[in-house]
Parts: sequence; structure tokens; C-alpha cells
Amino acid sequence: MKAGLRETMVEVMTEEAEKGKNLVVMVSDSTSTSKIQPFQEKFPEKLVNVGIAEQNLIGAAAGMALGGMIPITANAAPFLIGRSNEQVKNDICYSNTNVKLVGLNPGFAYGPLGPTHHCIDDISIMRGFGNITIFAPQDPREVRALFHYLLSHEGPAYIRLDSLSCENLPGTSEIFKPGALTFHRGGRGDDSDLAIICLGTASHAGLAAAERLAAEGINAAVVGISSIRPIDRGALSAVMASCGRVLTVEEHSAHGGIGSLAAEVIAENGLSAILRRLAVPEGQFAPASPVPAIRKGYQLDSEGIVAATHAFLRETRKDD
Amino acid sequence: MKNKYRLSHSEIAIKARSIRKKIIEMNAHAGAGHTGTDLSEVDILATLYFHILNVDSERPDDPDRDRFILSKGHGAGGYYCTLAEAGFIEEELLQTYLQADSKLPGHPVRQKTAGVELNTGALGHGLPVAFGLALAAKKQNKSWKSYVLLGDGELGEGSNWEAAMAASHYKLDNLTAIIDRNTLQLADRTEKIMGLEPLADKWKAFGFEVHHADGNDPQSLLECFASLEVGNNRPKLIIARTTKGKGISFIEDKAAWHHRIPVGNEVFAAIKELE
Repeated sequence: MKAGLRETMVEVMTEEAEKGKNLVVMVSDSTSTSKIQPFQEKFPEKLVNVGIAEQNLIGAAAGMALGGMIPITANAAPFLIGRSNEQVKNDICYSNTNVKLVGLNPGFAYGPLGPTHHCIDDISIMRGFGNITIFAPQDPREVRALFHYLLSHEGPAYIRLDSLSCENLPGTSEIFKPGALTFHRGGRGDDSDLAIICLGTASHAGLAAAERLAAEGINAAVVGISSIRPIDRGALSAVMASCGRVLTVEEHSAHGGIGSLAAEVIAENGLSAILRRLAVPEGQFAPASPVPAIRKGYQLDSEGIVAATHAFLRETRKDD
Repeated sequence: MKNKYRLSHSEIAIKARSIRKKIIEMNAHAGAGHTGTDLSEVDILATLYFHILNVDSERPDDPDRDRFILSKGHGAGGYYCTLAEAGFIEEELLQTYLQADSKLPGHPVRQKTAGVELNTGALGHGLPVAFGLALAAKKQNKSWKSYVLLGDGELGEGSNWEAAMAASHYKLDNLTAIIDRNTLQLADRTEKIMGLEPLADKWKAFGFEVHHADGNDPQSLLECFASLEVGNNRPKLIIARTTKGKGISFIEDKAAWHHRIPVGNEVFAAIKELE
């Protein structure tokens, strides 16, 4: 059954507030973006709207945390990461305050609204900051597990949360394990032709592509990354080394996302694996177009992943 | 929780003199620092720590303590010397200011130094965080107050005005902002770089209860704090007129001393003026 990721987040916040958790949700006019109304109706005093002022949103969240509360900020990812970048760096990360930053509608979820509203640099930027943990949940089950986990663990976190409504994936768990990879299909030492490694909700397209490839006799492992920091580098190395070919899929710049992460792990461990990255090429803005069109352009939909896999296998025939 | 000192203005002035001496010695020993900035804020910090703030060096993390944020984080030297005078950190630690991996880095770090609430240095951060602290107190029905010391030059950062708007909107009469109005910033006079006046009118327009004080006179500061209205739903602002480099004649009111340090005979001459 499909469920919205944001709606699921709001359900968890409501459950935790009902249990007496001292949380406060903070928005910058983004009450509709965050789908927060059901929570707001139950706990109006636990919702703070600071108006369209992202710098103040993040500084104020740090203050609320220093004052003993658990703030969860929820606004559009491009403005959280861009407009309040220095507040995120200093007030949240460097000061190590217990704030959960939720970046809503990342990637090019805003499609035709254009690059001012696209956020294809958040993972790259957040990986450059100290202290903070970084997550990109893949499905409603994982959103639920992740937010329960976050609200019972002290420390700053960034959560890249997509706008979509989707089914649960086969590999996710009711219990969130920070750092763990998600094995949706193969990847545990089996003889896959390649590993398709996906960031967050890109796992849905990755898995759909693998199923089509399987019908053609191509065995693709599908591994999801929802915990970017921490991450089990050993497990990631093992997947990539055993498959030999690695295709990363992310609605992000090729710079600094999981494509970069995979490249680092391959190089640092001297792995014998060839890497191809599906992402927005470094140095580019994505066009202002409907989301399916942008995904199609970068081969980030299941058809694109299938086509990219065919090309990848042609270029790297193992029996040559 | 109460301030355990509650000193009179004349006793605070003696503390301020001692803090100034520490600043000169510490900056000269470190070979770096923001001497003019440190000296400017001393009387405000001494008044806060020896009378106003309900904090206790024995329990720096007490959940009921008042919260103070030094938004002008480059004034770390004056802050550390005040924290030492008030017993939050040991005097000997001042000898390590700016050394490798010191507990006293060039800008305040809460993980390093007892009494520091927020890592500051980048400007325009203190007021939004103090706003959040004050709002947290209201949300949790806590009686502690939040205080923030702002540099006048840093008011160029728009984040201050976002926070000012919000503090007024949320009726945070438990928030007090103090401006160290020394009229100098790094490059030159504030009014030459980016005019701030009419400063009081701007804050009044943002809904603040605005007061004036001589920021280098503990008596004036104590009277000002005593005059803050209680329970009127309005955040407080004190424009504290100060002299950058206050207390040392050859340092006073000179932009060049923003981040200069005394060397050689200047050290002896400065100490002599304080004795």
C-alpha cells in the first residue's frame, strides 16, 4: 500500500509527542510543504512558524535544542541547505546541537519551477560538515523507523525527505540501523553482473530496472543507501568488489553524492571494480522541466537505468 | 538559581579592572587577539557575570541557569578573562589562549570551555539562537532568561533582523539583547561603512523595549538592567555606548586596535594605566 513519506514523518512526530517526547516542529511558512496540519491540530503549541526566514529558522532551532527541546525543522531542502548554510554549519553542526534538519522535496522534485528550487547539492554540502549524521530514507517503512530512531538519539541529523508517495521496498526494516546498507536484491557475495547502488528513493527505479534486466538474463544486485553518514564502508566494499561493476543512481550532482562516495571507497580500498555514475553531471544545473522528463534526460528512471546497464555491460564485457 | 556575587557597581568596576589586566597580559603572551574588541565589552560582561546573570560556575550546565551568548565571538579574549574572573575556568588556562588545540581557541567553542553556550565567531548568529532559547523557556514554562551581546558592526547581518522580527512576534520579554555600541568595525567607523542610525528607532519599530546605557560604566548598566520592564510581552534591547579599547589611553577608539596586540613597552604602559 502506498503512503506519503512526509505524511509518515508527521505520523511519527504525533506518536512521539503523544508519548511525551519534548519535541517541537519548526517551519518557515512551510506548513503545507511539510504536511504538518494533522500534528498542528493536535499540538498547536508544539509548532513554531518563524515566517520566511530560513537563517532565523535554523539559529532558533539551535536555541530551542540548547534550551532542552528536540527541534525538527521542516522546509524546502534548497533553502535549508542554501539560504541557511552558515547557520547549519555553525549553530547545528559545529555547536553539535540536537536538531533534526529535514530537507523536503530535494533533487528536482520541484521540476518545472527550475534550478532555484532544485536541490542537487545537499549531500555534497552536508558531507563537508563535521558532526552531523546524514540520511535519505527510501520508503514509508524506513521513514517510520528512522524518525523513531532519531527522536531517541541525541545529536544533529540531516534527513533528505522526498515528496513522493510509494510502496515499501523489500529490503527495508522496521528497525533503523544507522550505517547499514539495504540489500533489496542480491549483493551478498553472489555472482551478480553488476551492483546498482541507489541513494534514498532512487532504489525504487533501481529495483524496477533490475527486475526488467533479470527477464533478459542479466543479474543485477540492488543496494540502497539511506544512511550516508554513518555508513558501513566494509559492506560497501564487499558489494562492489564481488560485483566488479558498479552503477550509482542518485537525484543529485555527480559531485559529492553516493557516486563520489563509491569512487572513494573503490580507490581507497584498491578494489577491482569499474564505476559508472547516473546523476546530474558535475558543473550543471538540471533543466526546468517536469520531473519525469528530467529523470529521463539523466537516465534516472527505470528505462534509463536499463539502457545505461546495457551500455555499461557492452563496454566492460568480462569475457573479452 | 541566583547570581552568587550580586556585586555593587564599584565592586564590579574593580572586577572589570582586573579583567582588563588579564586581557593585556593574555593577548601579549598569545601574540594575537582582538584587544580593542576585548576591552570594549569588559564592563558589560563584568556587570552580567557579577550581578545580573543567574549562573553558577560550580554548575555551569544547570538547566535553570540564565543563558548568555557572546554573538561578537571575536571578543573571545574578553569573554575568557571574564569567565576566569568569575570562576568558570582556571586562571592558568589563560596562558594557553590560541595555542594548539587549546581549550581557549580564537572564537568561543561550547565543547571546549565551561560556561560557553554556543560556538560563535561567524557574525549574526547570536540573536536567532537567543530567540530560540527564550522561546524554549516560554514553551516549557521556565523562568530563566536569555541574554545576547551583539557587536554594532555585526548588525549588518540580516539574520539579526529576522530574529528581531520573530522575538517581537512571539512576545519574548525574557530575551535581552545588548549592543556593544563602540561605533567602530574592522574597516572603519560603522556610520561610514554601513550606517546604523537611527538605531534605537529601528529596534523600536521592530517591537523592542529600547534602553540606553553607558556601556563602560557598571552603575549605568545596573540602573539600566533594573529599569527593564517585567511581563510586558516585549523583548528588551540595551544600546550600550562604549569606547573600543576602553581603559588604555593609546588603544581607545582606534580601528587599528580591532585585532592588534600590545608589544614591548606597550604592555608595561597598558598595565601601568590599570594599576
